[in-house]
Amino acid sequence: MTESVGIRAEGVHFGYPGQPVLRGVDMTVGPGELTALIGLNGCGKSTLLRLAAGLLQPDEGRVLLAGDDLARLSRRATARRVALLHQSAPAVPGMTVRQLVRQGRYAARGPLGMLREGDDPVVRRALRDVGVEQWAERDVDALSGGERQRVRLAMALAQDTRVLLLDEPTTYLDLHHQLDVLQTVVRLREERGLTVVMVLHDLAHAARFAERIVALRDGRVVADGTPKEVVTPGLLADVLRVAGRVGRDPEGGWPVCYPDHPLLALEYENHVH
Amino acid sequence: MSRRFAVLAALTVVCAGVELVAGRGMSPAVVWDVLGGGGDTTERHILFQLRLPRLLVALGAGACLGVAGLVLQSALRNPLAGPEVTGVTPGAVLGAVAATGLGLAGWESPLAVVVAACVGGCAGAALLWLLAGRGRSDPAQTAVHGVLVSAVLGGLTAMVLLVAPGELGSVVQWLVGTTEGRVWQHWHLLWPWALAWGAAAWLLAGPLTLLRCGDDIALAAGLSAARARALALLCAVALTAGAVAAVGALGFVGLLVPHLALAVFGADLRVTLPGAALVGAAVVCGADAAAQLSSRLLAAALDSGRLTLPVGALTACLGAALLLLVVRRAPSRTF
Repeated sequence: MTESVGIRAEGVHFGYPGQPVLRGVDMTVGPGELTALIGLNGCGKSTLLRLAAGLLQPDEGRVLLAGDDLARLSRRATARRVALLHQSAPAVPGMTVRQLVRQGRYAARGPLGMLREGDDPVVRRALRDVGVEQWAERDVDALSGGERQRVRLAMALAQDTRVLLLDEPTTYLDLHHQLDVLQTVVRLREERGLTVVMVLHDLAHAARFAERIVALRDGRVVADGTPKEVVTPGLLADVLRVAGRVGRDPEGGWPVCYPDHPLLALEYENHVH
Repeated sequence: MSRRFAVLAALTVVCAGVELVAGRGMSPAVVWDVLGGGGDTTERHILFQLRLPRLLVALGAGACLGVAGLVLQSALRNPLAGPEVTGVTPGAVLGAVAATGLGLAGWESPLAVVVAACVGGCAGAALLWLLAGRGRSDPAQTAVHGVLVSAVLGGLTAMVLLVAPGELGSVVQWLVGTTEGRVWQHWHLLWPWALAWGAAAWLLAGPLTLLRCGDDIALAAGLSAARARALALLCAVALTAGAVAAVGALGFVGLLVPHLALAVFGADLRVTLPGAALVGAAVVCGADAAAQLSSRLLAAALDSGRLTLPVGALTACLGAALLLLVVRRAPSRTF
């Protein structure tokens, strides 16, 4: 197993004209750690993930990958180190599962390398990792949402990186497929020592699967720690704007949330200030 | 996959054979005789100096348009993109017509026509790029702006034709697209151009396949999407300009051939780009043969010996019918 790689964001500011998104984020993800990013819609979670993947450049501050500044790496060099699974993907008519997963090899092979036929053990391994070998010759667009998400995860795995970033990997999936995807990620991380950061909307999943939870509000980190430390009624109110209670899973001991009702704007203001 | 190529190649050969015997004045038996080394001087001249170069130009132009269309549709992620509707073809026509009208180019200097068509094609594409602005990523918006750009460029072409009609008699055929009167000189100019840019397009097959997956995915996989797209567009413009300079604005070929090629060969452009070249060649060659045969029938029926149907008119009708089919299919399947 090769060395795991850590990610470090230092004083990262990012925004669009007249609309700041991240206002000074410091975050360190240790090598081989599984971290969940949580927060309301529009709090900057996805933006932070894109910055960590080098798809955006910070206005201020920097993002380091194993100590290297991402701003100095080319697109291809970055993609050899970090894979990002986007929240949603457009249709790609006519493309088979194997062809799509093979596209993940672009960073490793380059534009001319992609022209060679060559049988790629990494592609086969990626297909096996998520258990989609049996559909390899089917059209991606003909698959169900859950199956397609696994195929897209396989494409990210085909990049063969040490770091895997997942932007809401379970959105639009039923519970069965949510657990399926998350457990695949957990298993691969254990097998390969991958560093994983994922944006999750479901606090239950975050509390159960992540070793660490980083909560964002208005472009700032407001909580950072293990699920047991972080997941409290205060966090529910501060970060997710819901009133609720927190218990413990009787078997596993991880925090379990019982959300009651959304906080009204006034209650929320009083709570935060 | 190689069987599909073989079937398509056989189809192209059949189209080419029909094209050779479709013209007036020579029966298939005579053509066969001439090919075998017989025939008199006139017959030999007709076949080797007129019909053969015409056939080759039709094949080459069809291949260029097919590849250009597929490159455009993939690079712009737009099933409605094609040289005709992205300002490339009308721009190239305007370039060729304007250069001829200004006396910079003509039938005697086909190279100047190619250059002028290329410049015009680039200008047309650039105009669309500017006009579409932020709506570029939306296929429907790009298509609407493309129609606008095409209309404006078409109007400008008409103005040039009206201002300088004298020298431009033969230029009118660029507007419709025809293989009438193409000789070896056209072929000698077309094939190196088509080969060079076709090869360049094929080298971009990897990035183009990735661009079909969408910019977000392409970027995450390590492709500098903007640069790859710019290179791909350059190839598409150059190929279209080459085809327009050779045979004029053949309607709908660049728009529809990619759909046929994708249906036959799938979304891996390493295979589908050569496939689109073959489909384009077969389509234009077949249409040209059909145009000649129907010209003969029409001429006999209407008793007007000089009537010729330009192949561009036929491809436009055929293309419009096929486009209707494409549009009627579920939207998610059209790209």
